Amino acid sequence: MVHLVTSDNVEFVVDKEVVERSVLIKNMLEDVGETDQSIPLANVSSAVLRKVIEYCEHHRGEPLPSADADQNQDETRKRTTDISEWDQKFITVDQEMLFEIILAANYLDIKSLLDVGCKTVANMIKGKTPDEIRRLFNIVNDFTPEEEAQIKKENEWAEDR
Amino acid sequence: MSSTTTSANVSHPMPPASADLATTWAFLEEGVDHIMTKLQTGVSYSKYMSLYTVAYNYCTSSRMHNTYYRYSGANLMGSDLYNNLIRYFITHLKLLKDQSDSLQDEALLRYYASEWDRYTTGANYINRLFTYLNRHWVKRERDEGRKGVYPVYTLALVQWKSNFFLHVQSKHTKLAGAILRLIERQRNGETIDQGLVKKVVDSFVSLGLDESDINKASLDVYREHLETPFLDATEKYYEQESEAFLAESSVSDYLKKAEERLKEEEDRVDRYLNTDTRKQLVSKCEHVLIRQHSDLMWESFQSLLDFDKDEDLQRMYALLSRIPEGLEPLRKKFEEHVKKAGLAAVAKLLGEGSEGADSLDPKAYVDALLEVHRKNSDTVTRSFRGEAGFVASLDKACREFVNRNSATGSSTTKSPELLAKHADMLLRKNNKMAEEEDLEGALNRVMVLFKYIEDKDVFQTFYATKLSKRLIHGVSASDESEASMISKLKEACGFEYTNKLQRMFTDMSLSKDLTDQFKERMANHEDMDINFSIMVLGTNFWPLSAPNNDFIIPPEILPTYDRFSKYYQTKHSGRKLTWLWNYSKNELRTNYLNQKYILMTSSYQMSVLLQYNKHDTLSLEELITATAISKDILTQVLTLLVKAKVLINEETDQYDLNPNFKSKKIRVNLNQPIKAEVKAESSEVLKTVDEDRKYVIQATIVRIMKARKTMKNQPLIQEVISQISQRFAPKIPDIKKAIDTLLEKEYIERVDGTRDTFAYVA
Repeated sequence: MVHLVTSDNVEFVVDKEVVERSVLIKNMLEDVGETDQSIPLANVSSAVLRKVIEYCEHHRGEPLPSADADQNQDETRKRTTDISEWDQKFITVDQEMLFEIILAANYLDIKSLLDVGCKTVANMIKGKTPDEIRRLFNIVNDFTPEEEAQIKKENEWAEDR
Repeated sequence: MSSTTTSANVSHPMPPASADLATTWAFLEEGVDHIMTKLQTGVSYSKYMSLYTVAYNYCTSSRMHNTYYRYSGANLMGSDLYNNLIRYFITHLKLLKDQSDSLQDEALLRYYASEWDRYTTGANYINRLFTYLNRHWVKRERDEGRKGVYPVYTLALVQWKSNFFLHVQSKHTKLAGAILRLIERQRNGETIDQGLVKKVVDSFVSLGLDESDINKASLDVYREHLETPFLDATEKYYEQESEAFLAESSVSDYLKKAEERLKEEEDRVDRYLNTDTRKQLVSKCEHVLIRQHSDLMWESFQSLLDFDKDEDLQRMYALLSRIPEGLEPLRKKFEEHVKKAGLAAVAKLLGEGSEGADSLDPKAYVDALLEVHRKNSDTVTRSFRGEAGFVASLDKACREFVNRNSATGSSTTKSPELLAKHADMLLRKNNKMAEEEDLEGALNRVMVLFKYIEDKDVFQTFYATKLSKRLIHGVSASDESEASMISKLKEACGFEYTNKLQRMFTDMSLSKDLTDQFKERMANHEDMDINFSIMVLGTNFWPLSAPNNDFIIPPEILPTYDRFSKYYQTKHSGRKLTWLWNYSKNELRTNYLNQKYILMTSSYQMSVLLQYNKHDTLSLEELITATAISKDILTQVLTLLVKAKVLINEETDQYDLNPNFKSKKIRVNLNQPIKAEVKAESSEVLKTVDEDRKYVIQATIVRIMKARKTMKNQPLIQEVISQISQRFAPKIPDIKKAIDTLLEKEYIERVDGTRDTFAYVA
């Protein structure tokens, strides 16, 4: 069992197999060796870690992406925005939690979870105008009109016609 | 849920996420240095996590407002950390460099190896702590094609190479030199720390970097700094050693030495070099140890053969087979050796017997040839591993001495004749090889020599003649062995070759049936007081000729003769029966003596003896008139009968029946071959062969011309030779003669306006 301590000082005790979905923790356990020390996760709150652990529990035992296979997997990952049913349900959370999960997945190096989060955001954006997107994520438009025209021109290839 | 833990060795507090570069790096550098230099004291989870987190925070911090890269889309933080890492590695390595300057040889290697271990282990940690840097900033830089940016572990190796490795090597290749000196000590028989060598050598391999794909290993560094000087040193070492060794020791010892050395060097690759070196190392050693001394080995080969030095031969073969063309001179010498051995064996045989080549014992001759073959064939299998080239040399040599030796002289028919005679003796009833297996083995050995016989048609003719005798006289040892021999010949030369032989067996079994049927038919004729059996043999398949002298059929057997002739004519009308009296056998029962004897005779003897049913004394003239047998044959027949004391010849040309004939056996065999027949046989056979050959050559020419329509003289002759050589070696004058005959008979004609082109005449 591995002891994790969150930024808000909550300790989680988790199966090694579950927590090793995080490549960060897996590497560290490999490098440093297993001890009964607890592992401080300075960038993750207990609320988010709970969700992350739920995800890891569900996906325990699945093969981790290997470093060599990255290149090919990137290609297929990029092409699909499909999310499995369980993951879909899992990621149906408020926007703040969604971004927290994405950050935590990035920090802990859990590639599949990062994908699920990013795909979800991509699905939210899909088919929307810049203005709609700004409203959705509360973004203030700080581009000058010239900058905006320039970006539009550069990204013309991506326009859906 | 418990509260936080504090790590024992956190000397600096972890900086906040928003900390600037100076603060961030100060914290990271302390950690990196700890890992690179004091890893053995351990790292706590919290230390590890804090280092990771600080690097992560720095790379993910949003400083976009300051440094927004408009055209590259997003800003990735990292170059500062990356450059600081480089600076750290350089400083760290300078320390190692300074400490190594005073070290030499094994001490240097030990220092290098232990620092390499420590360094690469540490670098692996650092690489993982800076995973985020690798995954994003480094990846982006490389994706955009920037050269000289590597993932942190690779960066560490690159720095090691340029700031430490190359520095040490630049001092008279101190590092590689130390390795080479250790290897030389090992070659000299000392024990060295192979693990140490392996570790250092492996580092050479690890330092190779394929710029186009950093995941691929490159052997550049290994090749340049180690492999090349190693191969040079190897060459020099073995050049000196082999020269010195050969100056003092025998070639036999050298073969052993070279074999050992080659094995050692291959082992060396497995023990501590890169497998990639194997091929070059082996070929270098082969060159120095074998090629450069191959002349000497070739020279010594003959004496190894002469003294049957099997092991040395094996070794020499194994060594020379490793270099191109190394075996060719051996194969040539071996061929010559076998040929000489074969010729010597025959010469010895002729020397022993005082009779000379004419009365050579077939068995002794065949055994002598076989022994030479067996011995050298063993050598090929044992010492030359049955290698095809040596098998070919053996075959070539055997073919030579089997067909041409002091027994054969210039005759190409002597060997096939003797071999066929030997086969005949094996297959006869009285042969001592009672055991089936022995006989089968002996027949197989006949086939060994048969393979080398050039004039296979001569063998065929002799064999057929001998076989016909065995069958007619019923002296064949077993049908099974006969069949086995024929199937061997068939396997070697094809259906055509044994066709006649097989037909002879068919005739034999048909004749048996015929005799039975005839007997059955005649069963109710009371006057059939003669026991009669017949062999009806096809003229085309049997090498037999009818007697050219007259013969009066004795009245005693005439009724049987007539009855069978009639019976056969009704059964097969139109067939002509020619009676071969000269091959017939008879048994006569005596009534004129106290003891009843059964005399086994030839037909001629029978016809003579039957005359004495009516007379006790007869003159030669009277006998000639009564039997119509020619005088010279009759005298021989009579001589045998007199010798057996059945007849008495007291006055010239007068023969009396011996009333006091006595014999230990009841069955008396008088049927001895007549000398004239024996003598005539060989030359008869050879005449047949010559005649057959003429037709074979002519038929072959016609067949070729029919297919090709026109052909020049020379190619035609070549083609004839190649087609016929399976059966015999045709002589060119014979072919020319055959061409002339065919021109005469207008099977072919000369093409107008040419001197040497022929055309087929349809």
